[in-house]
Amino acid sequence: MSAWDTCRVCPRLCRDGCPVATGSAREAAVPTWIATTLHGWQAGTVSAEDAAASATLCTDCGACQEHCHLHRPVPELLRDARRQLVPAPAMTPLRGVDGAAQVVAVCADERDLAAVLESRLGQPVARLRTDDALGVAAIEHPSFDARASELRDRLAGRVVAVVDGGVARALVGARVAFRWAWDLVGDPAPDMVGSCATGGPRPLACCGAAGPLRRHHPEDAARVARLFAQRGDVERVADACCGEHLGWAGVSVRDWLDEALEALA
Amino acid sequence: MQPIARFSEAGIDRAAASRDCWPGGTLEAWQGTSAPLPARVWWPEDEEQVAAVLRAASEAGIPVVTAGAGSGVCGGARAIEGCWVLDTKAMARIGPLDPERWTVRVQAGVNGQQLEDWLAECGFTLGHSPSSIACSTVGGWAAARSAGQFSSRYGVFEDMVLGAVAVSPGGGVVRVGEGGEGSDADLAMLLGSEGTLAVITELELRVWPAPQRRWLRGYRMPDLPTAITAMRTLMQGDLHPSVVRLYDPVDTRIGGKTRPKREHSAGSSSFVRRWLRRVDELPAVHRRTLALPLALPGLLNRVFDGIASGCLLVVGWEGDEDVVGALSAEGARLLDALGEDLGAEPGERWFASRHAVSYKLMPIFERGGFADTMEVACRWSDLERTYDAVREAVSPTAVVMAHMSHVYPEGGSIYFSFAGRGDRKVYERTWDAALRAVLDSGATTTHHHGVGSLKARAASEEVGPAVAGWRAAKATMDPAGVLAPGRLFVDVAPHDPPASPPPAPEDGLGTGAVGADLEVRAEGGEPRWPVATLPGLPRWQRESWQQPWIGVEGLVGGRPCRLGRGPRSAAGPDLRPWLAEHGATTASWGIATHGERWMGEARVEHPMRVARDLLRADLRPAALGLRDGALVVGFRGPAAKRLAVLASDRVPGGLTEVPWRMLPVPDGPLEPCPDDDPAACHATASTAFRPVGRTA
Ligand SMILES: Cc1cc2nc3c(=O)[nH]c(=O)nc-3n(C[C@H](O)[C@H](O)[C@H](O)COP(=O)(O)OP(=O)(O)OC[C@H]3O[C@@H](n4cnc5c(N)ncnc54)[C@H](O)[C@@H]3O)c2cc1C
Repeated sequence: MSAWDTCRVCPRLCRDGCPVATGSAREAAVPTWIATTLHGWQAGTVSAEDAAASATLCTDCGACQEHCHLHRPVPELLRDARRQLVPAPAMTPLRGVDGAAQVVAVCADERDLAAVLESRLGQPVARLRTDDALGVAAIEHPSFDARASELRDRLAGRVVAVVDGGVARALVGARVAFRWAWDLVGDPAPDMVGSCATGGPRPLACCGAAGPLRRHHPEDAARVARLFAQRGDVERVADACCGEHLGWAGVSVRDWLDEALEALA
Repeated sequence: MQPIARFSEAGIDRAAASRDCWPGGTLEAWQGTSAPLPARVWWPEDEEQVAAVLRAASEAGIPVVTAGAGSGVCGGARAIEGCWVLDTKAMARIGPLDPERWTVRVQAGVNGQQLEDWLAECGFTLGHSPSSIACSTVGGWAAARSAGQFSSRYGVFEDMVLGAVAVSPGGGVVRVGEGGEGSDADLAMLLGSEGTLAVITELELRVWPAPQRRWLRGYRMPDLPTAITAMRTLMQGDLHPSVVRLYDPVDTRIGGKTRPKREHSAGSSSFVRRWLRRVDELPAVHRRTLALPLALPGLLNRVFDGIASGCLLVVGWEGDEDVVGALSAEGARLLDALGEDLGAEPGERWFASRHAVSYKLMPIFERGGFADTMEVACRWSDLERTYDAVREAVSPTAVVMAHMSHVYPEGGSIYFSFAGRGDRKVYERTWDAALRAVLDSGATTTHHHGVGSLKARAASEEVGPAVAGWRAAKATMDPAGVLAPGRLFVDVAPHDPPASPPPAPEDGLGTGAVGADLEVRAEGGEPRWPVATLPGLPRWQRESWQQPWIGVEGLVGGRPCRLGRGPRSAAGPDLRPWLAEHGATTASWGIATHGERWMGEARVEHPMRVARDLLRADLRPAALGLRDGALVVGFRGPAAKRLAVLASDRVPGGLTEVPWRMLPVPDGPLEPCPDDDPAACHATASTAFRPVGRTA
């Protein structure tokens, strides 16, 4: 029996959850069809090239898993397939934590999250910059286990604050506990459209510009982002990762950190 | 040069567009055969792009298959070798919602569940809930005339359509329905045309506020005839339930549906269940678990017949708090007299898992079998005969059970599920036998799954010479014949419909000559929703329960033709309006069978605004209109008096009782007008209408 058998005969019941299938309108992006293609690759009837094109129609948002009443571990199976089919993106070495303070702000861009936290908490805050946003690319990278253990070592015993869903997902993968920065300073962020990582109201599970999709199918990633913006009437997002992705796709939004920095200035 | 629309010729896109959810295709795929591959997949984003693609296809003579989400189970969206697939899903705009008129505009490629989620955020619902809601599009619902689980409350999908935009190779972009060019017959021709006449690009739909209250109950009925009587009495008593679902004794027995939930996990039975599941998980056993029972379907059907008795009826009401209270109280009184009240649990359980049926067929394919469903419809008096005939026909090759989930005052739909074992030939034999039995018993071959290629021959036989109506439309809309060739209707040997016995008293149908005036027709009993001429008010000027006609018969080209075998059929477009103008001789319509009636009137400043508010409060009066400047409101059935009290509370100054007198509904043409227009003569939930040409 193949891991994809149930999906192959399913009437594509996860389609409404999948942001890529919705935003790209491509039938090939419905997880059920990806499963069918990957089954064909395993059976020798589909080329590795087509299988790779199929397995990368994914933001790894996990919505298909949420929507599957038969509890097939689709995201995990897709991650495995991608590991076999597409070369891992380059990863920069993990930097050291800058400062010995109890609270560490982990940020994926140059904006100074630590400064916001210092002023709001009234105590020093250390910094950890991750150039590659950790994210799903990191989780799928063959070196992730080693990186996860490094992360655990560097952040052991500290309070970890994040504003970026990509970073948050990598921390979850590395089993490092963290707090959302807005929670830590007691700010509500509920009126902002949420992302897959932060929860909250969302027009699609993800704007689509995340993960393998943006690397391998940039036009589809931009399409998904545009539909996300149209459905959600988005002006503000909580999650910096969503903000970055939407910005990349040409949808200008402000995130929590933009507003917090503005208030600080 | 810029392409006329986005397209792909990549292998993964062509393969993914090759088949829909027709179980015959699933069986093929499982057994290693591939489906016909399209040459190209297009994703137009608006009607101009659709028009350009259709023009190019017509010029090149390339067949075009329109695909929504491909959840169709009849092969309608299955590719044709070398065709172009026009995928509608890039037409994905939702809104705007008009909270005043209770309407929403939506592009055809929008996913059903995503629309419902979006409406829920705005406090509204479409009320359309097919089991496939998560995996189908609104365009597919319109094109294949879908029906949802709450059809007796919100209507079937075409009841929700106020207008549509569609593109055909011959006619370009057309707007039909309310406010558009074209008649009700044009809209009727479009809905159910399954991509053979035009591509639907946008719809305007009627929406309702999210229900204030939902009431659900299960009843154990001693046998099928009693259960059928119960459903019929509810529907003919104007009680407007939202859900009426009957599981046949086999389905009830296999699903353990009338046993309380806790027994499922109690003691030994749960141990056996766990043990069986574990055995089933052993790889060598997995594929064979169903092999023996499915190899002996005849025996299994007889065993089931022997052990099964009693059936479960799930009934529900939803909507306005007070109206649900009044209707459910009367409904419960009626059902208590016929069956055993099992409380809310079976109903709640059904509601919580109402889409779970969609997951039930996969394990059968995984174990090397095939499974499929067939939904037919007929008058009350034909139900048991049709049920028996289909079971007998399918029995040699498949295990069969059934439920009923769409009922009307005049009859209902039977939904058969069957599972067997074997190759495509066995599968096809099973279907041929089933469809033959349906046609011979006088029922319609499809209530809501449509036709596609699976039922094309059977539907062509059913519709008979009225197919000329569709052919005439096809000749103008698709002169090059590129839209879905060989689908929906095909050439079949002339086959006269089986003799139509006169309706039995329980059918609640009157019959008479087309053209007879209302008084003459009323001699056989008061029409449930009176209109003076066939085909009556267009769809956007009436509500789902205001069905003017059921059957229309006549001679087309000298051959007998009978449409409306069931209270509703999805065998292509509704050709009754066409037949009405091309050879109809007799018609049948619902008549009011229930004795209780109450009528009241009021002189109010804005009668049409008040009338619309009554409709919006879910009151569904059997009579509603203006007589000599007064608003007249009438209710029929066991809840008539309770509803009258609720209505009176909502009318300024209250309603004064008057003797019951049939209230004719005006004929078209009407035009929408403000609902406080003193000349208005008809109201629906979304607007009021006045006769064309008359001024305030
Ligand atoms: C698990 C499951 C449960 C189901 N339950 C129900 C149910 O409860 N009620 C019900 O009614 N149906 C049900 N169906 C059947 C199916 O969902 C409906 O027929 C639905 O209307 C199809 O919509 P779609 O978008 O998937 O259309 P598709 O399957 O893509 O197409 C169906 C037909 O319509 C045509 N078409 C699609 N879009 C357009 C358009 N925009 N313009 C012109 N033609 C078009 C296609 O060419 C094809 O002929 C079920 C199916 C499955 C798999």
